[in-house]
Amino acid sequence: MINFTFDGKAYQAREGDTLAAALLRNGIGLVGRSFKYHRPRGIMTAGVEEPNALVTLGEGGRTEPNTRATDVFVYEGLVTKSQNRWPNLSFDLGALLGLAAPILSAGFYYKTFFGPAKRWMLYEYFIRKAAGLGNAPTQSDPDRFSQRAAFCDMLVVGAGPAGLSAALEAAEAGKRIILVEQDSILGPSLIRDPQTQGAQWIEATAARIVALGGRILIRTTASGYWEHDLVTLTQRIAEPGQVPVDGVAQRLWHVRTGQVILATGSIERPMAFADNDRPGVMLSQAVRTYVQRFGVVPGKRVVIATNNDDAYQTAHALKAAGAQIVAILDARPAPAGSGSVFPVHNNAVPLSTKGARHCLKSVSALVDGSPKSWNTDLLAVSGGFTPVVHLHMQAGGTLDWNDAAQAFVSAISRQNVTTIGGAANPEQVFNVTPISKPKKSFVDFQNDVTLADIDLAWAEGYRSVEHLKRYTTLGMATDQGKLSNMAALGRLAEKQNVAIPEAGLTTFRPPYTPVTMGLLAGTGAKDGGAHVRRLALYDVHAAKNPIWQPLGYWFRPRAYPVGGETLAQAALREARAVRNTVGMTDVSTLAKFEVSGPDAAAFLEIICATTVSKLAVGRGRYTFMLREDGMVFDDGTVWRLAENRFLLTSSTGGADKMAALISYVRQYLAPHLRVSAVNVQEHYAGIAVAGTNAKAVLTGLIGEEPPRHMSTVPAMIAGVPVLILAASYSGERAFEVYVEGTHAAPVWAALEGAVTAQSGCLYGLEAMEFLRIEKGHLVVGGEVDGRMTPHDLALDKMLNKAGGYIGASGLHRPALSAPGRRQLVGLEAIEGIIAEGAMLITRTGASPHGHVSAAGLRIIEGSSIALGQLEGGFARMGEELIASSPTRQMQARVCVVAPHFYDAAGDRYRD
Amino acid sequence: MTPQGIVTVTDVTITPLPAAPLHALEIWSNAPAVAKRYEAATGFALPPTGRSCGSDALRLIRYEPTVWLVEGDASALPTILGEDGAITAIGGGIVRVRISGKGWRTLLMEGGVFDAENPAFTPGSSAATIIEHVAVRLHVVSDDACDVYSPASFSTGLVHFWEVAEGSLVG
Repeated sequence: MINFTFDGKAYQAREGDTLAAALLRNGIGLVGRSFKYHRPRGIMTAGVEEPNALVTLGEGGRTEPNTRATDVFVYEGLVTKSQNRWPNLSFDLGALLGLAAPILSAGFYYKTFFGPAKRWMLYEYFIRKAAGLGNAPTQSDPDRFSQRAAFCDMLVVGAGPAGLSAALEAAEAGKRIILVEQDSILGPSLIRDPQTQGAQWIEATAARIVALGGRILIRTTASGYWEHDLVTLTQRIAEPGQVPVDGVAQRLWHVRTGQVILATGSIERPMAFADNDRPGVMLSQAVRTYVQRFGVVPGKRVVIATNNDDAYQTAHALKAAGAQIVAILDARPAPAGSGSVFPVHNNAVPLSTKGARHCLKSVSALVDGSPKSWNTDLLAVSGGFTPVVHLHMQAGGTLDWNDAAQAFVSAISRQNVTTIGGAANPEQVFNVTPISKPKKSFVDFQNDVTLADIDLAWAEGYRSVEHLKRYTTLGMATDQGKLSNMAALGRLAEKQNVAIPEAGLTTFRPPYTPVTMGLLAGTGAKDGGAHVRRLALYDVHAAKNPIWQPLGYWFRPRAYPVGGETLAQAALREARAVRNTVGMTDVSTLAKFEVSGPDAAAFLEIICATTVSKLAVGRGRYTFMLREDGMVFDDGTVWRLAENRFLLTSSTGGADKMAALISYVRQYLAPHLRVSAVNVQEHYAGIAVAGTNAKAVLTGLIGEEPPRHMSTVPAMIAGVPVLILAASYSGERAFEVYVEGTHAAPVWAALEGAVTAQSGCLYGLEAMEFLRIEKGHLVVGGEVDGRMTPHDLALDKMLNKAGGYIGASGLHRPALSAPGRRQLVGLEAIEGIIAEGAMLITRTGASPHGHVSAAGLRIIEGSSIALGQLEGGFARMGEELIASSPTRQMQARVCVVAPHFYDAAGDRYRD
Repeated sequence: MTPQGIVTVTDVTITPLPAAPLHALEIWSNAPAVAKRYEAATGFALPPTGRSCGSDALRLIRYEPTVWLVEGDASALPTILGEDGAITAIGGGIVRVRISGKGWRTLLMEGGVFDAENPAFTPGSSAATIIEHVAVRLHVVSDDACDVYSPASFSTGLVHFWEVAEGSLVG
């Protein structure tokens, strides 16, 4: 026996019991409370379609609310709780809402918006208080969720007799097959209704499939069918709330298959009559499942209401289990059921039930036009069968109406999917029109939607089934209308005086059954799905305990505080070291592309808006790139390493876009060029050394004069080959040392030793930002924001006059040279501190003329400066403006100046 | 609850390999002539897409229509290529990880989108694919081992992902 608790009380289950079976085994009839009216509810089904028996499972971070008791298998120590009740399940004060049912009918929520807005403020508190069922856990889920790919020739969904046979046939034909079954056993319908194909056949068939290389997954639901026959499977490795053996609770399979066979069977339908939601009213096949599979007899005096032959099997099963069949109410006229050994009443439909909170006491029915009633503790209902066509419809398939079965069946699909078995050939039924009072005749049990609600929606003008669904909430929540759709459509068709197919059908969308969010997130659930890209020198930096800065997926040192420094203090110290002596920083994340071949220069002159071909070997230049519309989208440097070999660098943040652009140009715009363009972003680690003493640092290490500004030479540092580029992003004489990432550590160590000897230090991104703002260098994402032309950024003099680059044509658009465009300017504070992102206004309340794209300070003097975009900015030098940031509650008086606050002539680059 | 069905082999070992010189070889013109020159010089044909060819001293693995990954001593290749192609060093940005043991195919399905379980993915086969959102290249080196070429920046995370996944492959 297996021990579990329900609402704090200990019970025992048998191996293989669902929670629903275990509760019934222990005589528990009341399992939950309904969503809106808090009506007592029991167990209605034995499958995933269960609308009533929703419980909360597990504890702590493993808590899972709103789980169907019919879809969880009891394990040792399972903790379960009922929900949506206070103070307890038997005595629930929320049930008083039932008294207010007349004003809580369909669409009541929308009607709360009528009238003065202040009324909604009153309603809102109570509506929010009452909304929802179980409570979401407050702790994080300790378990992991796996995602795995699988490929096969054929995916078979459903391991009933049809699915097993199809899988075996395909496996024997040499196909790679996957067979999935959402239950914990194969062939559950064969266990419920033993035929010639019994347990032995199931076992032998499964063994044969496996021997032929097939994969069989149980507790696995095909939850979504996507384009190109991609099907997602949800596999429960551990039951909800259970501690998984190896840490993985569930697995999401992405199955790409050549063919899908849907052997998904049918779901039995309830009937609509007054108080059809009481504990003790169950679906007929569910009753049979509990009797035949679990050995649980849910009632002793049983009435069965049906419109088909299948329910008679339930009567036989109950009788064999010792229950008394009090009556079979067969909606069909005689001679239906005439050969039965049970008391059959033809032309009989249930009218209403009576009972207590925990149980059913009697059923009344209209038999041949006359009312009759029976004392009973179980009413087994069969209103026909709804084929499970959800996946077929998700695959883009259409449905046909099967009049004999009063159900939709799969028709054609643009994907390679076939429906077989009971889902393709549902049992014939007799159409029954509800005759009970509609007010308590529930159609959607989960959302407390009655026939009266559908009638009201109709009366208020909701004709489309899609509108009806949203107005009444019918077909929503965890069961997604599996039991209610057909009954609602029947009522709608009746109102419209049309056949059901003409009334329409709502769309079935994934997932077929609820999927936990953690499964969709997979392994990324714990960190928001974000990777961490580690620098080649990550460990070197980590040893210095820097403040890390996420930059895309990269993590880069933002500053290296010493002695309890704050970020601002550390960054300012580091920046001042660069200005006064020397500093070094890791620039490995810059995009880098090596471009080789006789046409390399021509290729680069398509990508870069500046000239390239005029570069001498060993020289480099600043460059930038445009989008086809003429806007600047990235910048960097280009270096001629050899006659036919170049190195192009560009921004870290734009690296992936640049790689895509280069690939696009190579594959589509210039496939004829003799060129190879290789992404070497990670091949080279990059170390920048900047400052007055940078030249001395390099000279000491390479034993010769380092290259002049915008020149490059190969060299050796610490015995490692390096490439030295003399380029500056700081305003000081500076070098970028590129070295293979795998050999970067000794080069860094040698450089750090030399920098320290020159009284320098390491600097991070924050200091780099101070330095580049003071110098007036651009950053992609700040000044280069996708709206600025080369002219707006004062780069137009560098444009390749020969044209031919991407964006050259776009630049001729008249709007790009119209007056009033925003242009790059510098801003110097007259009073106050300039806030990044602040609006540039002429007076309080005026419309902004621009904004602050980056704010910093004069590194030595400490005064507030910024870069910004200002309408007609080039012509407004000396104008006084207000930099206003209401969100930061900061305001500063600023003067418009040139965007170079430091060494505008560039003298410090030169020796 | 142990799922029925195929027996998933979970024997798998994850071994980061030492850094090695790797190059990208691209041919932009006269490919048949380059192929002849290459075969004459090395004794091996240029492998077709999705395959590798060569020896431990020099192996070419083809992942793209015009690009091969070169593993080993590439010093002779510039001469072979002449004006018809180029090689570019890329080894500093790639970490090689060997996934070995009977369970390597199962492990590579975790977080993947490529059919590593396909019986046709045999020794000598290669593929460029995505695993756990990381662009990687696969090269089957034997029935029981596959080398993965990962961007260096992602490799620590990817190896950690495999080490965690390795313990829960059943199913």
